[in-house]
Formats: sequence, C-alpha cells, structure tokens
Amino acid sequence: MVRFFLRRVAGAAMIMVIISVVTFVLFYAVPRDPARAFCGKICPPQNLALIRHNLGMDDPLFVQYWHWLAGVFTGRDLPQFGECAAPCLGYSFATREPVFSAILDRLPVTLSVTFGAAVVLLTFGVVTGMIAAWQQGRPLDKIASASSVIGASLQIYFVGPLLVFFAVDTLGLLPRPAYVPITEDPGRWFVHLLIPWLVLSIIFTANYTRMTRSVMIEQLAEDYVRTARAKGMSGRTVFLRFAWRGAMIPIVTIFGVDLATLLGGAIITEQTFTLHGIGELAVRAVQNTDLPMLLGVTLVGAFAIVTLTILVDVLYAVIDPRVRLR
Amino acid sequence: MSRTTPAGPAAGNGGITTWKGHMRSSRRSAAAAALLMAGALALAGCAKGGGGGPVASAGGTPVQAQENKAVSAITVGGAEESRGPAPAVPGSKRGGTVTMIDRDDFSHLDPGRVYVNYLSTVSLLFTRQLTGYRQENGRLTLVGDLATDTGTTTDGGRTWKFTLKEGLKWQDGTPITSADIRHSFERLYAPFITEGPTYVQQWLVEGDYRKAYEGPYDGMSLDAIKTPDDRTVVFTLTAPHPDFNFTVAMTGYGAVPKAQDTKERYDRKPFSSGPYKIASRVTDKSMELDRNPHWDPATDPIRNAFPDRWHMEFGVQAQNSTDRFLADSGADRTTMTFHNPLSPERVQEVVGDPSAMARSVRGLTPYTTFYNINTKRITDVKVRQAIIKAWPAKQIQLVHGGEANSGKIATTVLSPTVIGYEAFDLYGTLAKPTGDPEAAKALLKEAGQPNPTIVYAYNQTPTQEKVTVAIREALTKAGFKVVAKPLNAGTYYDAIGPVDNGFDVYWGGWAADWPTGSTAIQPLFDGRLIADNATNYSHLNVPEINAGIDAANAITDPVEAGKAWAALDRKIMEQAAVVPEYYRTYFGLYGSGLGGVEFDPMTGLQYPLNVYVK
Amino acid sequence: MTDATREREPAAWSGPGPFLSVRDLSVEFATEDGVVHAVDRLSFELEKGTTLGIVGESGSGKSVSTLAVLGLHDPAHATVTGEIWLEGRQLVGADERVMEGLRGDAVSMIFQDPLSSLSPFHTVGRQIAETYRKHRGGGRREARARAVEMLARVGIPHAAARVDDYPHQFSGGMRQRVMIAMALVCDPGLVIADEPTTALDVTVQAQILDLLTELQRESGTSIILITHDLGVVARSARRVLVMYAGRAVEEGSVREVLREPRHPYTWGLLGSMPRLRSDVDLPLLPVRGTPPSMLAPPPGCPFHPRCDHRRLVPGDACAADRPELSPAEGHRDACHLPLARKREIFDGEIRGRL
Repeated sequence: MVRFFLRRVAGAAMIMVIISVVTFVLFYAVPRDPARAFCGKICPPQNLALIRHNLGMDDPLFVQYWHWLAGVFTGRDLPQFGECAAPCLGYSFATREPVFSAILDRLPVTLSVTFGAAVVLLTFGVVTGMIAAWQQGRPLDKIASASSVIGASLQIYFVGPLLVFFAVDTLGLLPRPAYVPITEDPGRWFVHLLIPWLVLSIIFTANYTRMTRSVMIEQLAEDYVRTARAKGMSGRTVFLRFAWRGAMIPIVTIFGVDLATLLGGAIITEQTFTLHGIGELAVRAVQNTDLPMLLGVTLVGAFAIVTLTILVDVLYAVIDPRVRLR
Repeated sequence: MSRTTPAGPAAGNGGITTWKGHMRSSRRSAAAAALLMAGALALAGCAKGGGGGPVASAGGTPVQAQENKAVSAITVGGAEESRGPAPAVPGSKRGGTVTMIDRDDFSHLDPGRVYVNYLSTVSLLFTRQLTGYRQENGRLTLVGDLATDTGTTTDGGRTWKFTLKEGLKWQDGTPITSADIRHSFERLYAPFITEGPTYVQQWLVEGDYRKAYEGPYDGMSLDAIKTPDDRTVVFTLTAPHPDFNFTVAMTGYGAVPKAQDTKERYDRKPFSSGPYKIASRVTDKSMELDRNPHWDPATDPIRNAFPDRWHMEFGVQAQNSTDRFLADSGADRTTMTFHNPLSPERVQEVVGDPSAMARSVRGLTPYTTFYNINTKRITDVKVRQAIIKAWPAKQIQLVHGGEANSGKIATTVLSPTVIGYEAFDLYGTLAKPTGDPEAAKALLKEAGQPNPTIVYAYNQTPTQEKVTVAIREALTKAGFKVVAKPLNAGTYYDAIGPVDNGFDVYWGGWAADWPTGSTAIQPLFDGRLIADNATNYSHLNVPEINAGIDAANAITDPVEAGKAWAALDRKIMEQAAVVPEYYRTYFGLYGSGLGGVEFDPMTGLQYPLNVYVK
Repeated sequence: MTDATREREPAAWSGPGPFLSVRDLSVEFATEDGVVHAVDRLSFELEKGTTLGIVGESGSGKSVSTLAVLGLHDPAHATVTGEIWLEGRQLVGADERVMEGLRGDAVSMIFQDPLSSLSPFHTVGRQIAETYRKHRGGGRREARARAVEMLARVGIPHAAARVDDYPHQFSGGMRQRVMIAMALVCDPGLVIADEPTTALDVTVQAQILDLLTELQRESGTSIILITHDLGVVARSARRVLVMYAGRAVEEGSVREVLREPRHPYTWGLLGSMPRLRSDVDLPLLPVRGTPPSMLAPPPGCPFHPRCDHRRLVPGDACAADRPELSPAEGHRDACHLPLARKREIFDGEIRGRL
C-alpha cells in the first residue's frame, strides 16, 4: 500500500514537471512579448529592455525554467517584486501578487463550487437514477429519464442568469450568488452558493441519472443479487446494499473523469456569477499573458486532477475488495 | 485629451484599458464594442457632463460647429480657480456608502505606474497632482491641485515654478512638502517604474533617461528639480514645454510621500493625499475606501467627497453589471461603475426605457480609432487619398452594430475633445459615407496606378472578418486589388510593430494624454520617432509636419497652440496617413439611489468626485 | 435441526401429505417476442430428508421451476400458476413478505457459480451472518459466531480467521462450501442446489456432493439437486425427475431411472454420457436435433421432433396428444409407447450401448 502510494506520488510529481515544462515552452513559443504589459502606452525601447531584465526574460529559456523550478523549493528574490518565499510560484505579471497565495486565496471558492456541485449532482443524479431503476418502465422512470434529457441540454451561461433573475431578482428566494467563507458563516456559505451548485450540476446530473439507472438495472441482474434475494433479503436491502454497491464502481470511474470537466465547468460558473475562484485567475492569466499565474493555475489544476485520480483509485479499493491494494 | 486611453484593446496587464492605447484585440472586443455603441446617443445631442454632443450628420450635411463646444470650454485657470473647495453640486448630501462594481481590479495604484484611464479615475479619490481638472456643469478648467495655481513659466515653458498650498497633509497628518513632490518625480527613474508616462522623465535630463539617473533610493538626486523652500518646486526642462502644466496633471505625476515610499510595494497600497484612504484591499476582489480625516476640502478645488465610504467589487462582467443596474434593487441602487459600459445587447432596451436613460452616463471620450496607411509602402499620396475616398465607413459602422452600437464616424486625426479641434471633412466622407469609388478611380488614374495592390492586415475575429469583407468590396470597386492578411489576436501588435511589417493598411486607436494636440499628434505622426514597435504606425515622415510639431509645441498660449495643432491635423489628413474611423463614446448606467454621477471627458468614464447617496 | 432451543423446527414437519408438493406448476414469461412457456404443468413431490435429482438439458425448466418455489420470479414479467405446497403452505401467490421470511430460512438455495453468486463486496462471514440475523435476529457477535460455526461445519480450515475474508480469496471448492454454509445457516427444511458442482474440478465435485450428503444425514434436510449430470444424480439422489421442455418426462427412484429408463429422451441422456467400462468402439448415443423453442413448444409430446421411435406409435399421436406421466405412482414416464414396447426397445437397442 505504501509502496503503491509512493509510486503514484512520484508519478504525479513527474507529470507536474512535464506539464510545467510544456507550459513554459508553449508560452514562449507564442510570438508575444509579456514585457510589453509592463510598459506604458508610449514605451521607449530602453524601458522594454529594462523590463525584460527585471523579469529575467533575457536569460535562456532553460535558465528561466531552472530559476522557476528552484524557486518552488527554495524561494526566490525577484528584482521587480521582492522576496518570494518557498513554495514560490513567482509573482503574477498582472497583479504583482504572489501566485501561490493568490491561488491559495481562491482555492476555497473553486473547491466549494466544485465539490458542492459534485455533491448536488451525485445526490440528484444518483437518486433519480436509482428511482428510475427501481421503478423501471413505470411513470416515475419515464419522468426521471425525460427530465434528464432536458437537463443535459441546458447551459450554464443560460440557466445561470435565468435562475438569478427568477430566484433572486423576481422572487427573492435566494441571495445573489457570492462566496462567503465557510469558516465565517456556514449557513450563508450554503445559501449563497446554492444557485451556482444547481447550475453547474444540472448539465451533469442527467448523465448520472442515465448511468445510474442502467448500471443499477445491470447489477440487479447479477448472480449475487439473486443470491441475496434467495437468502430472504428484502427488495430494498438488495437494492441498496448489494446492487448499489456494484453500481458505485462505474459511477466512481466516470465521476473521477468528470471531476476534471467539473473543474472546467466551475470556471464558467465563476465567470457567470462573479465568484473569485481559480477559474477567474485562469481566464485572466491567459488574457494577460501572465506566465507565472498561468503556470501556477495549470499546475494546481494538474495537481488536483492527479490527486483525484489517486483518490478514485483508493475509493475503488474501499468499494471493491477485489482490487484492494496490498 | 485624457491622461490615458479609454478601454480599448489592451493585450496588456489586465487593466481596463490598453497598455498601448491602440489597436483592437479580440479579447477586449467586448469592451471595445460596448464602448463603440455609446456613440449615437451622444450624437443625438444628449451628451451629459461635457464631452461634446455633435448632431447626427447621417445625410452628409456639413459637420456642425457645436461638436467641440464642450472642448472649447476647457480653460486654464489661475489662482482664483485653484482655491478650494470644489464647486457645489445641487441636491448633494454627505454620508453613506457608494458601491462601485467593475470588471477588473486596479492593476496599479502607485501613481508612477498609472497610465490607463480607469486607474486615473480611482486615483482621483486618493492621489493628488500639482495640477488637475475641475469639472463643473460640463465645463473643464485646468487648476492647481496641490499647487496654488497652474504653474508659472517665464521663459516660454522651459522653467516651471509651482507653489504648494498651505495646510496640505498626507493621510497620517504630516505635511505635504516640496521634498515629497521632488521625490515623487525622482522615483519615476527607478527601474521598477516602467508602466507610467515618460514625458517628464525625458524632459528633465539629456539623452537616455534610464542611463542618466536611477532614482533617489541610493541617495542621488536630480538637479533639474529644485526646492528652494518647503512649498516651492522648480522644474528646469531641457527644452520648452508650454503645456507642462497639463502634463503634470496626469495621475502618473501624482504625489508620493518620501517617508512612506515602499518602492515596489507602494503599488499595493498607496498613501493618500486625497479625500479617501484605502482601508482594505483584496486583489481582484474588493477594495474599501474610507475618509482621510487629514484631507482639507479648503485646499481642494476639484474634489467633492460626499459619501463616507466607497465599496468596490471587481470581476463583474459588463453583462452582469448591466443586468444589476437595470434590476436596480437593494444595494445595487447605490451602485455605480467607473468603466463597465452597457452591454451591447441591452442598448435598445435601455434607449427605449426613460427611467433607465435617466440613470445613464453618456459622452464623447478622448479615444479615436483609425486605419493606418503605411506611407513607407504606399508612397504616392494620391493612392492613399483614393483609399480614403473609397473607404466604406458606413458599412463598417453597420458591421459594428450601426450608430447605436458604434462611434461617430471620424474625419480628423484630432478628437473633438482636444483643445483647438476643428471639424473638417477633406474627403467628403460624411457626404458619401459608403465610399466614392468614382472619385477614388479618378485619383488612381492621376497617380498612374489604376489597380494598386493593398495588403490589409486585421485581427482574425468574426467581427473583423465582416469588416474585412466590406473593405475588400469597397476598395475593389475603386480598382484596388485587396490582399487580406488575418493576424492572430494575441500577437497583432507584434505583427504590425516592426517598421518593415509588410502591410499597407491596419487598424489602430489613440487617445491624447492631455487635451492639447501635442500628445494626440506627435506620437503618431512625428517622422523622427519612427522605430520598431513605436507609435508612428503610419510611418509618416514629412519634414513640414515634423517642423510644424516643433513649432506648435513651442506656443505658450493654449488657444494659439490649438489652432496650430488643428492646422497640422489638416496637413496630416492631406497626406492621407490614416483613415479615421470613430470618435468613440461612452454609455453606462448607475443605480437610482445615487446623484451627481457624471461623465468624465478626461477619461471617457464615469466621474466619481461629485457622486452622492440620495 | 437438533437444536431444541429453536422456536421453529422446520425439519420436523409431520403434517399430512408430502414435505414439498408441486402440482401443475406453470411459469410463463412475457417477452417482446411472445410468451415463453418455461415450465408447463409440472408436478412432483419430495419426502422429508430425501434428495430429488432434477435432470435435463439447459432450458428444460429445471431452474425456473425451483426459482418458482422460492418465489423469485419478478411478477412484472413472469406468470406463475399451479400450486406449491411446502409443509402444508401454499407458496404460489403468497405475500412477498411471507416469501422473504421463507427464503434462506425454510428454503434456501445453492447456486452454480459461487464466485459470481457471492457478493464480492462483503466478507463471507457477513454474508452468512446477515442471513442468520435476518431470520433469527440476534446480535452481530452471535451471528458471527454462528458464521464461524457454519464455516467449520462445511469443512473450511481456520474458519475463525477466514470468516473475514472475501469470496475472491477462496478457492472454487472452498467458495462452494461457503455457499453451502450460507444456505444451511438457518437449518432450512429444503435446500435447492442448482448445479452445485458444475463449475468445480472433478475431485472437488465429489467432496462437495459428499458434504451435502453428510449434512443431510446430520440435519434431515430435503434437497432438490438440479443437474444435467446423471453421475451426480446417481451419487447423491434417491429419486430423480427428468425434465424436457418444461415438462416432467420421467420420474422414479435413481435405481429405476438409471437402470431401466423408459422415456426415449432419458435414453438419449444416458446414451450421451461416456462410461469407463463401455466399449470404446461403440459411438455414443447423443440426442439428435436441438431443444425446442419455448416460445412455441411442439404440440403433443414435446420430444416428438427429436424422437427416433415416434413412428412406432400409431396415428402419429406423439405430434397430437400430450402424453401424461403414468402410472400414478412409482416409476413413471410420459410417453405414448406401451411399457412393454419400451422395455423391448431398451433391452434390444439401448442397454448394450450404455
């Protein structure tokens, strides 16, 4: 188990280094000069040269990369910005904020949006899917399946403002979406994020309804489910304790993949509702040719996905003893 | 005529505006388009708070003189006008909190690093300069801000003397002294100050200012600035600059206290000399301002400070803010924006809604857009003139959403917001806004090139593709052969930057740094400034014009200087170095609970200094 | 069945009639293609403490009929008619909750493939214990102790340690022992073993069958042993029922049916089975043709399209009239051929080749 874990972590670190190198190279492959972002409207050439020097951009690419990588572990002293303690991902070209603290600062927002939406979509998607499977062929099944098709065809940027218009502006049921730190007021955190969660999860929920329904139906036909019934287990017990357990494996697999998509959806959701999360940082970093921020956000994204993949593997082991790690 | 440019294309630093103040880019196209649309409304004569309200001239009627009415109202004030407090605002009330929502946080607050209009707007609340613009009923006056007057020069603009008012204090209660002012200018030479304007730095030393002096932090000082006593500052320039007092009105030359200068970190939290100080700030999210108790309104002829607090939120897209202003509910009623324009798809709705119109801010910005003609490649002036003759101004405007969604079609280099602007239409563009292929053909025939090839470079965006089709059609009709070169939006400037860029026609935009012709014309058309990535994108180099620029720069009387610049404008248009596109306008909304929200013709944005909570 | 503390003594059935009696059982499935007549008027009886072997090809309705005993057919898709009397109780149409109480308690089932039939997600101990707790109540510890006891009883070494293992950690034979332990945890009166040895090695098969026999001897359980392997029947069962196309075609003691089979289908079954002592030069006698579609079973005797002897029956009665089991008791079969004629054919043509 420990060895498996170490191997996975080493692999993850490798992936992150590769991603950072690729980002670095791609960034410089684009014929665009980030130094110009630091120069005034009328930009004398000597200023441009000075800025390039300040940013370390007059060093060869691999030296720049090495400085950056070393900074992650040992910190750096950057002439344009000052001291940057480890783990130093540099300073944002655009805001002059340390990238690491900018990301840490926004992480709770994105995590709240993503995981809240994940909880909503799993709850709704899986529960409706299970109801559909339970009621297979009956009206409730048909209602659940039909509503899932409608849900799948909706878009965040369409549903978002619509929901705000009705739930906030017209009916005043919910407060305008915003981020209130959970540590500050869990209740307000919850109600303020409810709309983003619903909106982000709605397009995914449908998938989970369909998938849960079909895997549940599949599982119900399994031999061990028949055995359970032959032992006298009630239909409900069989459904919830046995079939559901088997159905969780494909659901977790797809969910592991979808989490990455969900992070992408969180970006659009943040834009739609003016939430200050990683997504907003990412969009700005691209707009502003902000290499340090771009690298930081890319790496955090990669880190999140790699970590989630490991988590999904662990979850497999919890659900299915046959793949339990030794 | 503004300190900086209104929101344009910026590939730049996340700021609200362009870092170069020119060129359209797809990323900013939303903002740009949103700005464009404001045009027609101002044209309908309903401009509020100055900036000019030219009457629509769709039928090709001659341009009306009243277009520059607001501009001619800009005057240079003396000691009397420089005295505080600021002009009263009828109906105004003290107290309350004003919320400001906008798309972007302020990328810089260190005055030395401020060059874009949006940053200047917020800086009005806590940064003061030697001079500034007093806005009263749409009339602008250059007045002494920290200085008792707008400066005095006895040698045609080479030596400038400013006297500080009495009772000026920083936010900690310490006095603002001439040493602070001197320090504020000296620190602009430090290597970390690269984003701001560089005029004064270059005027105070000979040669490369970066080599001449590296700032005051290692104990060295600049001989060109003298402080004979605590309240007097004397600048000695290397050459006369009669409009130096306009130059130092830029936020970029705002005051920074010597004792509180944290160098790089000053950008995060500047020390206030104005009515408010920064109480808290979270990058990209919010900023809170509260009153600076040491600011004395009696020293300030510019700033009314009615609200007790300012609460600012960032990351609100224009679409979002427009919807909030239209809903006008709860705290949004006391909310305004500095920059966010009306989102284009809501324009019709707002125009048809008198209650929303009553809460709108409209006006002509200092920003002009145009198509550069590369005079290095198209050397025959008649061919260049033929391009302007054939140009499909109206078709392009239609692509941009018609008059309501774009700017007013321009026929000059100078914007109506520049002192001395004269309206003229050398090529009859307003009479034949869809182009005059016959006249163009005649010009080409005269030039002996009936079918010249034109390489047109453009940003590859859906809108620009359509514009390109219109241009191609119109020019082809006149006999041109058009080769369209699509450019990647992210690298547009890098592609057109080199002098030897290989293109004949390409889009650009500009706003003067202060409302005289010098920064509207010299950076763009002084042939001696041609270099890779410099601002003279048309590469025009006419000795007569270069000499004219020098002559105009030497005229001390603003009105006379204005006439000289207007004459140069006409000469440049005769040379057909650019095809003017629009004089851009601003159109935005605010909440019903606020009063005194005005248009700021200096920035082309909403003006914060007369705002009050009803 | 010997534990006197138990409230119910399922094995102590002493009421009138046989322990299990199935009468005119029919099971039909509604499918998209039509109605599948999986079991057609099947009747059989089972005495207390004995083993009934049910043999037949795949699809002959053996499993379907026993699942009907447990009431495991989904009422939405299957129609079950007829009567199933267990210890004097009618099970067809019984309330689902009554059936739940019976399953695993009075009647339990051992399935063919223990790997897929045991839940991969739960320890064997838990799977055994939950059956016990469902029917007998009691705490976790008691149920767990019972599970260990059962595992030991079915011959799993180190039962106390292995109770927390998962099915995939056992070998095939051991898994089937776990299945058996699970089936017997509540001392059911009836165990239905559906091909319990098919998935196992030959050597293990014998062990499992011996285990079942031994457990039966200890607790007096009745067993229905479903198999297509007459060898298994010969080893373990007292009586045997041969099924074809959802019907019983022959029934009798193991000795009667295997030694003197009467139905041509039984001949075919026996003939398709190699024997150690048989002459290697003689070919096997497999049944020609393929089993009929249960969507439209042949009229008359369902075996007639494959039967080599139907021409011996006058008037092609095989294709027209359904033969009933006869005589009423003892060794019975369902065939239009007179008994004497069948004996003649068997002695003359078949016996030598078996």
